[in-house]
Parts: sequence; structure tokens; C-alpha cells
Amino acid sequence: MKSEVVTYIVKIHPLFLAALLGILGIDLLTLYSVNPYLAMKQGIWELVGLLVAGGILMIPYPLFVKNARFIYGLVLALLFVVVLFGHRSHGARRWIGVGWFQIQPSEFMILALILFLTAYLLRNGKDVPMTSGLFAGGALAALLPAVLIARQPDLGTAVELLIIFAVYILLKGISSKVLTISLIGGLAFFPVAWEVLWTHLHEFQKDRIRAFVDPSSDPSGMGYHTIQSIVAVGSGGWFGQGLSGATQVRYQFLPGAQTDFVFAVFTEEWGFAGALLFLTLMAYLIWFAARTALESRDQVGFYLASGVTGFFLFGFLINALMVLGVLPVVGVPMPLMSYGGSAMIVALGSLALLLNIRFYAKR
Amino acid sequence: MALDSRSLKRSLLGTPRARLRGLVLLFWVGFSVVVIRLYVVEVIKHRHYLALARENIVKSTPIPPLRGEITDRNGVVLVHNGPEFALFEIPGEVRRPQEIRWVASDLGVPVDRLLRSTRSLGFVLPSHVPIPLLAGLSMAQVGRVNMDLYRLPGFFIQIMPKRIYPENNLAAHLLGYVGSFTPGDLKSSLYRHLPPGTGVGKSGIEKEYDSLLQGTPGMRRQLVNSHGVMIKRLREKPPGEGQSLRLTIDVRLQAVAERMLGDRRGAVVALDPRNGELLALASHPAYSPGELSQAMSTARWNDLVHAPDHPLTNRATQGLYPPGSVFKIVTTMSGFQENKLDPDKSFQCGGLFHVGSVIFHDWKKGGHGTLHLHRAIEQSCDIFFYTLGMKLGPDAIARVARDFGLGEKTGIDLPAELSGVVPDRQWKKKYLHAPWFPGETPPMAIGQGYLTVTPLEMARLMGAVAMDGEISHPHLRLGKTLTSLSPVGLPVKNFALVKSDLRDVVAAPHGTGHPVNLSFFAIAGKTGTAQVVSNRGVNKDKKRPKADSWFVGFGPFDSPRIVVAVLIENGGDGGDVAGPVAREVFRMYYVTHASTLPPPSPSVAPARPGGSSL
Repeated sequence: MKSEVVTYIVKIHPLFLAALLGILGIDLLTLYSVNPYLAMKQGIWELVGLLVAGGILMIPYPLFVKNARFIYGLVLALLFVVVLFGHRSHGARRWIGVGWFQIQPSEFMILALILFLTAYLLRNGKDVPMTSGLFAGGALAALLPAVLIARQPDLGTAVELLIIFAVYILLKGISSKVLTISLIGGLAFFPVAWEVLWTHLHEFQKDRIRAFVDPSSDPSGMGYHTIQSIVAVGSGGWFGQGLSGATQVRYQFLPGAQTDFVFAVFTEEWGFAGALLFLTLMAYLIWFAARTALESRDQVGFYLASGVTGFFLFGFLINALMVLGVLPVVGVPMPLMSYGGSAMIVALGSLALLLNIRFYAKR
Repeated sequence: MALDSRSLKRSLLGTPRARLRGLVLLFWVGFSVVVIRLYVVEVIKHRHYLALARENIVKSTPIPPLRGEITDRNGVVLVHNGPEFALFEIPGEVRRPQEIRWVASDLGVPVDRLLRSTRSLGFVLPSHVPIPLLAGLSMAQVGRVNMDLYRLPGFFIQIMPKRIYPENNLAAHLLGYVGSFTPGDLKSSLYRHLPPGTGVGKSGIEKEYDSLLQGTPGMRRQLVNSHGVMIKRLREKPPGEGQSLRLTIDVRLQAVAERMLGDRRGAVVALDPRNGELLALASHPAYSPGELSQAMSTARWNDLVHAPDHPLTNRATQGLYPPGSVFKIVTTMSGFQENKLDPDKSFQCGGLFHVGSVIFHDWKKGGHGTLHLHRAIEQSCDIFFYTLGMKLGPDAIARVARDFGLGEKTGIDLPAELSGVVPDRQWKKKYLHAPWFPGETPPMAIGQGYLTVTPLEMARLMGAVAMDGEISHPHLRLGKTLTSLSPVGLPVKNFALVKSDLRDVVAAPHGTGHPVNLSFFAIAGKTGTAQVVSNRGVNKDKKRPKADSWFVGFGPFDSPRIVVAVLIENGGDGGDVAGPVAREVFRMYYVTHASTLPPPSPSVAPARPGGSSL
């Protein structure tokens, strides 16, 4: 069965494999230019991620969905563990140490939520009409981890969870009555919610929002990320500065160069031409995810693949637009590119789910 | 046959799969935005951002320039520079907010003192610009902080130039002081290129000629990473030393003037009437420029600002006083001008003067008896000038007063000069909204009432009298400023008359200015004992205020070279109190210039022999 899967992928989806490996290679090269040690670590994570992906391919996807509530509960429990015993780094409490490495449960929550919502919104693999109760339950399932994660503080991942929930609601459809009530309620509570949110936001999060309104208001402070990022991208030109020519990165003017702003580093080094190549590969992956959903024969496969599509689609768009200064710096990582083991495993794992759906649906 | 709207809607967005297609469509829209934005930033604006990226990695740190020296007219150095240790903070590189507390405890100063600097400048400057926290560190402080600096990358100690002022606060108001610039100063383009911690002129000459004295900061260029760690040193631009400044002041006259003022409140102005060069400009009480140039506590600053004797005020240019009898010179000139004064006509002074029901007294009980103009000036008879003033009216007197430059700034090269008030009918209507009452004219004729002047204005006026109607433009910078005289527009013959009268004020044994008399140096002048409404300064609450004392005079009589104006607040009699101060300044002038002065004319006696016989 193992060789069967491999043969299936290589034979039927060589383009997908090429695109994925291309992005992983680009990722390693870019991180290498930032810091060779980081590239080495990321390479290990990529291998681990591919192994996890292989493992996911061994198990038919309906089994995941059947156990989705258990998986979700487990990750949620880990999030509580983070809140209580989490490891602090750079002022944020996001990690749990496991032996010599650290995992970031918030990233795994993305995959867990996709599985959970797929299971929760279907009854025995059949689409059921959306009710207020179902809506409320789904909202709670997304909001509870989102709040925990936002408090870490990790606004980006929390936003991603809410977006995944929104994608599910969009696809599932919602009666205009429920929508209207929640819209009116939301609008009525918006000032209160904003007030509460604003007072609970960390100062650097507020600064990012302020900086988004006017990035040049304080070039050394709040708008620093945005400006340095745009400067990095802009100094790339048509063909880039080359791997060693990225002064913005080499002299460490761009904080978070290996995480949220890795796309900026890549464009500075590879130029507009390189960026177009990357964008094409990324767009192909997202298109592949959407096709998987559209071509899947059962509802479970459709919703599962749609969740992965939403995760990749919005992760990519938000990160790219943030790097280019169109959106505020919310801290959403670029899937498959940003440095981070947990994120890499989750991204590769969710891509493995897509192949899984295609492979097992065919049988 | 055609699709009805509902089925169309369902086929487009009705099913989950259709909506996923919609989402993918949305993705392509977003994808296009990414590509277009990328093209704009990376291709169209490439040059712009490339230039910005270059700027990013070259760190330019300004090197403070050495401020120019200030010397007196003979080259005696008044203000120069010395080194001092200063502690700086780079706010962007401070890792923990409590670090500044560690530094404060190392220094042994309250942390608030350091926070004041970061709060004022740190909020307006970019966070990579070093901000001075404390200057003038002792060696012990430097040693203690230095031990901790290795773990405080946001702090460093640098040797900075420090301004050194003369001892005894000599010429404090005149020289002014420097201070670290404030956020407000940053608005001025003059300071924008300066590194924080550089002193900028805050008052006096230091402020007036700041742009000259400042010099141009140098620039140290380094290739750095974002932590400010130097990768490579680039060519540096050395700082340009500030221009040194030579003043018209003669430090010997200045020192005598200040010593003679002692601890009394007052001002001394010595002026060369031939070209407007100020030889001395003293004001007491003074402050310590050295102390003010350092960061000082708010309490100490408030003490200075609110001190009852106003040590920060330069009384020579900012003190407004009634001129008293010195003003009788103006009334006399006005009398000549209006043809209402005959110098030879005798006058009966009975010690009393009536305007309506108001009675004015002469300063001398019982009056001066019969006298002429000459005696009236010499003995400062008030009744004579009351009578003359009533004939002239306020407008005629005010006209001549303005010709002599009263009521307007002299234009001296010092900041914040004030001008006195020359009242007339129009002035009173405009500012007090009342008509002029006849009873207000007699006080004005003897320099009281609404009339106020600064000591500098009076020195300038006396200079114009000495130079037969050629008025000077007082200034402190030697050589570069306007030295020519302007005519006041009064006939020269009238001056000879008044001058001979002024000579007798000093020379005649019963003249009010006789205490000023020197046998070897012919001085002419006028005393003033100006009644004031209240005591100023520490004696504010005393019931009967003492009058302000004036003496304003010039010498040598035949070829005037120096005018001295002395004012002592609440000093009492002009001749006895202000007079000796002026005398010693004249004496010092004579001592230092004896070889170049023309020999005293044989007849120092009054030009009009009739005067002394009365």
C-alpha cells in the first residue's frame, strides 16, 4: 500500500510534487541566506514534515474525520498547557518543550479545527441544514482556541482560525435570518467589542495597527516593519540582489526576516522574476487544493479539502499583502516558507490530506 | 425558457461547490493585487527603495563641534571650552526599561533627573539618535557607570565640550549661557543638524550669535547592522569649529562696574558715543552662566525664575524705570525746539506748583529761589520744569523724547531687549482709553508718571547729547555692526548750551552730580532721583519706597569718548548713590586710556561764568 501511494503521486501528480519540492527548496535557500543554521534546522523540519505527511497518507481520511473531536480536544488541552506552563520566548508564551525541541500547539490547532469543523458540520457524511445551534457550536469551537492563542500573544494564528471558520460558514451557507441577526448583533456590539479588544491588545499589536494607518509616522518605531519590508522588496528590482546581496537582511534591518517576512527576503534576493516563479508555484498549490475539493465525490472530502484551501489561500494572500504593505502586520506566516517546525509540519500535513482525499476517493 | 433569477443565483452561488468557485475567483483577484503591487514596488519604484536600502546600512553619527570663544575688545578671553564627561542613551537600544534605574543608582542621582531628558527629547527624536542624560559627570561617577556599561548597550559615556565662563559671574547677562536644546528648538532649522547634547545659546550673546558660534558638526560614517554594530569604518567628516567672537566690551570697565554695583540691584551701561560700541553692560543681581549651562534641577530653575530680585533679567536692556530728572534734558531740548524756553530769563522757584487744585512740590523744601535754566539743570529744580512742561504739553515733549530714541528698542545685538514708554495724548487714549489730564504733564516733564526707559536707552540719549545730536546704534560685536551715527534732527547750537549746563551738574560744588567729579577727567552729566510707586525686590513690602537713583554722564567734556549710565533700584539720591559708581567707571576709563586721551582743557570751569555766581 505504501508503494501504491508513492506510485500514485509520482505518476498522477508529478507537477504537484515538483511545485511542493520547488517551494521547499526556495525556502531552504532563502533561510540559508538569512542564517545557515536556521536553514539546517528548517531542513530537518521539512524532512520531519514529509515523514508526517507520509504517515497521514497511510491512513484513509475518513478515519481522521471520525476521530476529529478527539484530535481537537487534545490540541485544545495542549493550548491550555501552553497557557499554564508554556515556554516564553521574545515576550510571547507559545511553545511547549518536548525533549530537545519545542512544539507550538497553536499551529496544530489549524489542522485540528479543519478536521473538527468538517466532522461537526456533517452528519454521517451528509450535509445537514445549518441551524443556529450548529452555527453557535462551530463559532465556539473556533473562538475558544482563537482567544487562547491571541492571548499568547499570537494574533496571526488566531486570525487564521477565525478565517477557517468563516470559510466553513461561507461554504455551508447560512440562512439569511441567522446572518442578519448575527450581523446586527455584531454591529451593535462592535464598539464594545472594539473597546475591549483595544484595551486587551498588547502595545506592539496596537502599534502595528497604528503603523498600518500611517507607516511613515514613526519610521524607527511602529511602522518600522512595514517600511523595512517594502524597502527590502523594492531594492530587489527585476532580477534581485542575489543570495548574498540582500543588505536589508544581511545587516538585520528587517526583523522577523526568517518568519513573517521571509517572502520579502526572497524577493529582495531573487527580484521580480523570482517572485513570479514563487507566486506561480504557490498559486498552483492553492488551485490544486481547490480542485481537490471540487472533484471530491463525498461531502467529507469536499469540506476537508476546502478547509485546507482556505488555510493556504488566506495564509498566502494575507502574508504577501502584509509584506507589500497593503495589509497591517498581523503576523500570519507564509505557508511552507516561514521558519518554524510546527508550521511546516502542519502545512505539509494538510497538503498530504489533499493527496489522501484524492487517493482514497479513487478506490 | 430563460433562467429565472432564482435558479441563476442557485447555479452561481447556491451550492457549496459554487461558493468554493467564488472563493477561488476571489483568490485570483487577490493574487492579481499581489502581482501588481509587487511590480509597482519592485520594478517601478526600484531606484527609490534601493537608495533607501543604502541609507539604511550607513550609519551617520554627528560629532559635536567646538563652540567659538568669546573675547573682549582687547582679546581677553571671556568664554572658552573645556572637556566634560556626559552620559548618553540610545533609546532604541535599551533592552529593559529598568536599565535606566541601574544607571541612575550607579550615578547616585534620582532617576527622575535622567528620565526628564528621555521624556523631552526621546519622544521627538528617532530612537537611534543618542540623547544626553547627564553631563558633567565626576570621575567617580564615570568609574562606577563604566563598570556596568558592558551589559548596557543602550548607554555610553562620551567626552563633550563644556562652556567655561568667567569667575564671579562676570558679564553674565551679557554673555548668556548655553543649554541642551529642547524639543521646541528642534523646530528651528538652525538646530536641526546638531547632535543632541550640543549646547545651543539660550540667552545673551550666546543666543544672539548662536549660528556664528555653533560651528558645523562633523559626521562619523560607519557601515552597521541594525544593532548598530560597526562592520566597517567609512571616511569621516571632521567638525568645523565655531567662529570666535570679539566683543566691544572692555573687561576692565565691566569688572569695575560690577564691583561698584556690589550687591545692590541695578545696571551700568558704558557706551562709546562715537560709534555705539558698548564698553560695559552690567546688571545685578546676576546668575551663574556655568550653572545654567548644566542640567539643573527644576526646583533650582524655579527659584531663579521666581526670585524676588529677578536675577535672570538683564536690567540694562530689559529693566524699565522712570528716568527721573535725567529726562529734564529732553524737556529742555523740547523747550528750545518749540521756542518756549529763554535760557537767560530768570525764574522764581517757590517750591510749590499748582495745576488746578493739584499741588506739586519741589524736591527741595522751600524751593531754589530765583534762577536761570543753567541753575535749574545744575540743581535739578523741579518747579522750573513743571512750568516749562505745562507750556509745552505732553506731545511736544514726547516728540523730542522719540527723536532721542526713547520708546523704541535701540536694536542692540542681544535677545529680548525691551523698550520704555513715551506717553502722549494719543498713547494714553489708545492704551488707557482716557484723555490726557493737565495734571499729568508736570510729572512727565521731570521724567515721572507713565514715562519709562531702560538704562541702555538713557546711555544712548546721553551719547546723542555728547555728540551734538548724532545718535549711535549700540552694539556688542566688534567691527561687524553699524558704527555710523544718525542725526536726531535737532539744531546743534542747542546742544552746546545744555552740555555746559550738564558739565556744571558735576563740576560745580553744589551741582547734584558733584560726587562724580574727577579733577583729571572732565565729566558732564545729569542725576536723577526717580520716585517709584513701590519698592522692588526684597524690600517690596516696606511702606515708603526709596527712589531709583540715576546718573547718566559723559566724558571727556571736550571730546566725548565714553557715556556711562548708572541705575540703582531704590537707591535713593541719584548723585550720592549712582554717582560714585559712574565715577569709578570713568576713572578706570581714564586710567586705561590716559595715554591716548587729549590733555584736559585748562578751563574745566563752567562755560557760562554767570552760572556759579548765582
